[in-house]
Amino acid sequence: MTIKDLETKLGFTCLQCEYEEGAIEGAYTSDLLSDVMANAPSNSVLITIQAHKNTVAVSTLADVKVILLCNKRIPEDDMLEAGRKEGVAIFQTEKNQFEASCLIGSILNEK
Amino acid sequence: MKVRADLHNHSCLSPCGDLSMSPRFLAETARSRGIEMIALSDHNSARNLPAMKEVCAGLNLALIYGIEVTSLEEAHILCLFETLDEAMDMGKLIYLNLPDIKNDPKRFDQVWVDADENIDGNVGKWLGSGVNLSLDSLFIEVKQRNGLFIPAHIDRAMMSIPSQLGFLPPMDYDALESTRLPVPASAGPLPEGVPLIQNSDAHYPQNIAQRSTVYEMEAPGFQGLKTALKNRAIYP
Repeated sequence: MTIKDLETKLGFTCLQCEYEEGAIEGAYTSDLLSDVMANAPSNSVLITIQAHKNTVAVSTLADVKVILLCNKRIPEDDMLEAGRKEGVAIFQTEKNQFEASCLIGSILNEK
Repeated sequence: MKVRADLHNHSCLSPCGDLSMSPRFLAETARSRGIEMIALSDHNSARNLPAMKEVCAGLNLALIYGIEVTSLEEAHILCLFETLDEAMDMGKLIYLNLPDIKNDPKRFDQVWVDADENIDGNVGKWLGSGVNLSLDSLFIEVKQRNGLFIPAHIDRAMMSIPSQLGFLPPMDYDALESTRLPVPASAGPLPEGVPLIQNSDAHYPQNIAQRSTVYEMEAPGFQGLKTALKNRAIYP
């Protein structure tokens, strides 16, 4: 799966699109940032509802490449700015984390 | 007497705090903007409190020793202490319970300084993490050190007890901090009789003293604050 597939194959909305396109090798679903730090695989998409800039900070430390905000959570302005600065893509979906995880799971290993 | 206090501030030690926010800069700026009693409350660390103590002594600015702890649930709690020793002891406990995630100094400054703004050191673990202490455990540790336990920014959609738990569990809070008054409905039902206070939560120079609360105290200081909160002697 690539980052762009989140938009083209799954129809998620891109909110912060200044990122380097590339393959995504894993996914992690969590809202506790300490847990993300400890357990998220590198080069992954984080499926969360934590729509604030701390999520971007943790993503850079944990090598998460994309943040998917579920339940149509609206990010604070400084989150998008932080994402732009760090090159972390931010997407949004009205789906909940379970639904989003299942969808990503179905295409994660597609080339 | 009326005392204007700002009990929530960050210095260059906090990973999200601006590097220009030395204790000296923070204290002098707060004083010049009308603050008479201040707490320095860096994330998960008390390392800049010694410098803050030295600076405030020379400025006629009453100091409360604070740490803004991120609980296991990732809620922010203002832990305020009467003495430097109690706060530093709490700081040691917090550091022991922080996960072993190394900070990248290129991304986040976590420096502690002396009163003259010389950098004395750099904190190794990332201070932005949640600490391995639940709200209940944290409460016990704060009370063992005679401190005040004040949930931070309960009206915020992130890193607050209501955002993390969905409600405010019944606990013996000394006060509740909100960025806005009246507290919006998002914080849920508020426990009766707990005073509501506002503070700046300053991370950057322009935010210093942006919010504060005026208390009625016999004299500015920790005991005065404790009594004012107990009696809800707060000016609207």
